[in-house]
Formats: sequence, structure tokens, C-alpha cells
Amino acid sequence: MPLPKIVTRAAGLAGGAGGKALARLQHLRLPGIGQSSVTDDPLTAARRWRAVTVLTDPEQLRTAIPAPLAAFGDRLDVRVAPAPGDRGAELAARFRGPVTKDELGDLRAALRESKALVEVGEVLRVDPQPHGHRKPTPQGAAVEGMAAKAPKEGVL
Amino acid sequence: MRAATWTGVNEVSVETVPDPTLLNDHDIIVKVRKTTSCGSDLHLLGGYIPFMRAGDVLGHEFMGDVVEVGKGVRERKVGDRVVVNSFIACGTCWYCKQELYSLCDNGNPNPGITEGLWGQSPGGCFGYSHAVGGFAGSHAEYVRVPYGDVGAFVVPEEVSDLRALFASDAVSTGWMGAELAGTKPGDTVAVWGAGGVGQMAARASMLLGAERVLVIDRLPERLAQVREHVGAEVIDYSTTDVMAELRELTGGRGPDVCIEAVGMEAHSPGVHGAYDQVKQQLRLQTDRPSAVREAIMACRKGGSLFVLGVFAAAVDKFPLGAMMNKGLTVRGAQVHGQRFTPRILEHMARGELTTEHLATHVMPLEQAPKGYQMFKDKEDGCVRAVFEP
Repeated sequence: MPLPKIVTRAAGLAGGAGGKALARLQHLRLPGIGQSSVTDDPLTAARRWRAVTVLTDPEQLRTAIPAPLAAFGDRLDVRVAPAPGDRGAELAARFRGPVTKDELGDLRAALRESKALVEVGEVLRVDPQPHGHRKPTPQGAAVEGMAAKAPKEGVL
Repeated sequence: MRAATWTGVNEVSVETVPDPTLLNDHDIIVKVRKTTSCGSDLHLLGGYIPFMRAGDVLGHEFMGDVVEVGKGVRERKVGDRVVVNSFIACGTCWYCKQELYSLCDNGNPNPGITEGLWGQSPGGCFGYSHAVGGFAGSHAEYVRVPYGDVGAFVVPEEVSDLRALFASDAVSTGWMGAELAGTKPGDTVAVWGAGGVGQMAARASMLLGAERVLVIDRLPERLAQVREHVGAEVIDYSTTDVMAELRELTGGRGPDVCIEAVGMEAHSPGVHGAYDQVKQQLRLQTDRPSAVREAIMACRKGGSLFVLGVFAAAVDKFPLGAMMNKGLTVRGAQVHGQRFTPRILEHMARGELTTEHLATHVMPLEQAPKGYQMFKDKEDGCVRAVFEP
């Protein structure tokens, strides 16, 4: 196989691996680093409420659920509670039925976007950014995979 | 436009890249007048922060002219000469309202990476990897500035470009360390690191009323700058036992406030330095924390330490016992620049804060690869390489 094809294929694999690595990063179990308690089993994790605290009057959220969450329709339970110490409102959501990892990612992104829309009025964009020549390297592809997944990953 | 990009470990090149555009209503576009290398860039260059992609535009400390504004921008206008804070913050979330701008909830579009690393995500930063947003940096002719009303400050007429430039990060970071460490009149402050940030932490400590300020480094040209331009005392750790010297100079107490301005690639002589180097290279620790360790051991009982240097993840042999049993207060942060910049610009306008001496090498942007090589190798006494697009 010609070298450029090998590099391209390796980069493609690395991109996928980057996204998967990011998902695993949320519960680092390396000795001496990260979480020391047990972790949820997948079913429990999927059923947890996922929440953001939004600096706004809770009534505003109760009156009108932000569009990114409303788009899920009746597949979600949504709750709004006042946050302590004048921190605004706790906006939480979870799926009513079984859920896939991709759907959980969509929910994380929707909660973050909802918060931004209420607090700022828009969702911060980063693409397209000026950049120079992207050499097709496995490390670069891994970072690209991570960045692509990052809005939908995290501890939320 | 032309821009200096990271192309691999210890590789910088200047390329032609697309011009930035307004992507959000609160964006502004700044035509860069001056942009500087920063010690924390060396962690990117060296591959210690593995979230860079070849082609990423470097640079986070800059000033220039506003040339375009988004329709949601209310205060900045075309033609303003501005200095821009390195961290990107919305100004409206709870963290921004507490003036903890680098912790902004709405500044980093890639929160999944840093939440995984640290449990929570800080805000975004220009030119500092995809872990903090993947924003194009300032070593370019133009840069897009999100939340322009929050992060860009008009430079007073009497402040030169070269002075204002360092309000972007070096001065605001140093000021933050001195103020949030609780520096007050009568205190003795010790600062580890005589680069731009360390020098400015020392100067801020003096302006906040510290009675005695000591700066620790090994590079003679930087120690000379501290004496001449900052007015603080110096300790050369390559020829002096720092712990013994600090005890002697403080009546056996130790400094009231310690400020670490070195970061994850700290140099230290002897077996300690070799130990940290080996462990870092073997990936058994991500950072070399020798200055943090020494600061904890040197600090007086009940004193405070502020960690300004950039660290990525985990370190070894952290003196937790000393920190706990001596009752130290330890804080750290990326820069909450928006909180301090207005005051800093006032001090600059009055001539109480001067920074021009930090710009030891000013050169065209096309020479950025050479500038970074000089900066990294401390060649020709380089303290900061400043680029003019």
C-alpha cells in the first residue's frame, strides 16, 4: 500500500479512536489519577438527570423550555428548580425511555446550547477557523476526533 | 492573510491562511498590531499539551485595531485601539458575574475534553489547543474575538502599543496572582520565575503594598531586568540555597505570599531536576512541579501560594503534608484578565507599570519560527519575542 494511503488510513482510525478515547476519559481509572469511587452501570448512567445551572429566573425556563430541549418533544422529562445562592435556575433533563450513547450526547449538547441561548442569546461557534495546512497524522486525526465529539461529551 | 502556525513538535511555520470572519453576533475582528510569544506557548510547542493539530494558529497575547463588529456588539467600534484578554468569556454567566472570567461557562465550545481531564471545563483561549476551544490564535494579521465587548479594552492614548500588549496576559496574570493570593501592605512576597508573568507578579505585589518582594530565577539577564525595571530583589537559584536564603531574609518565618510563575517545564538543578525529567518523559507524570514544591516548603505557616504557571494534569511527590500541616492557602487559575485590565491600563497610563523591557526581540511575523527558537533557547537574552504582522 502506498505510504500516503497508509497514513490516511491510520489517521482515519486515529480519528475514531480519538472520539472513543474522549468518552473513556470521563472516568479515568489510571492508578493515582481520576475517579476513585465505583462508576455507574450503563443503565443507571443513562437514567441520571443531566443538569446545567442557568443564571436566570427559574420562571423564565418554566414558561418556555429552550428550543434545543423542546426539540426532543415528549421523549424527555424536564425539571426546573431554583439554584441556591442566587445562582439562577437548575435545568435538568433525562430520557423517559431507553437511550443510546449518541442520544445522550445530543442531550448534553442541547443542555449546553440552552444555557448559552438564555445567558448570552447565542451559541458560541468556532468553525470555520483560519488554519494552515493540516498534515494527515494519526495524532492530528485523534485530536480532530476528540474535538468533533467534545460538544457532546463530558461529565454532564 | 499570513499567520504563524504550529506544524508539529517544536515546529512553527508562517503560512497563508483564510481571513477570519464574524461567526457570532458578539464577535469583533481585530487587525493585529503586536502579538507576543508567551512561556506557556512552549508547552504547546514541546508537545506537552497534546491537543494541537498541525496548522493551528498560535498566539494568545495581543493588541490591535477593531476593523469589524458583529451586530450584537454595543461598546467596541471600528477604529478602537484595543488590547484583548487571552481568555474568552461571555460576561453574563455566573462565573463571569463573580469576575472569575477564565472559568466562563460559555467560552469553550469543546467542554468534553477538559471536563474529562479536570472534572469541569474552564473558558476558551486564543491559540491554545482544541482543549480550550480550538480558537485561532493572534500570531496573524487578523483575529476573530468572540464576546468583543467583554474581552477587548480600549487602550488609553498615553499608553504605547508595546506597553499595552502585555496587559493582554502577562500583567493581568501576574496581577491576579498577587491580588488573589491576598498580598497586603507589610507582606514579604516571593515569586518563582522571572519571565514576563513573574516580573509582573512582583511589580503588582509592590503596587499592592508588599514591603519586600523577592524574585527567584537563574537567568542573569532576567534577574537584571527585575532589579532595573521592577525594583525587586533577586535570588539566583543556581548559586544560592533558596530555602535558606528566604529563611534568613524573613527572620526565619518564610514569605507570607508565594507566587509560582514557572509552570509544567520547571528547571531545577541536581537530582531533583533529573528525577522530574525522567518521570515526565516516561509519562509517569505530565508536569514538572519543582517550583511549586519549593514554594510550599518555603512559605511561612498560614501563608498563601498562588500557582500561575500552566499545568496539564498530574504531578508526583506533591508535598500535601506540608501544605496541610502548615495551614497554607493554595490557589491557582488561568487569567481572569477582564477583572484586572481596566486597573492595569490606568497604572500603565500613570507610568507605574512599564512593560516595554519585556519585548527584548521585536520582529516581523514572518520571523516567528526564528523568534520562537530564540525564546525557547533563551538565546541572546530573549525574554519575549514580539511579532508585528
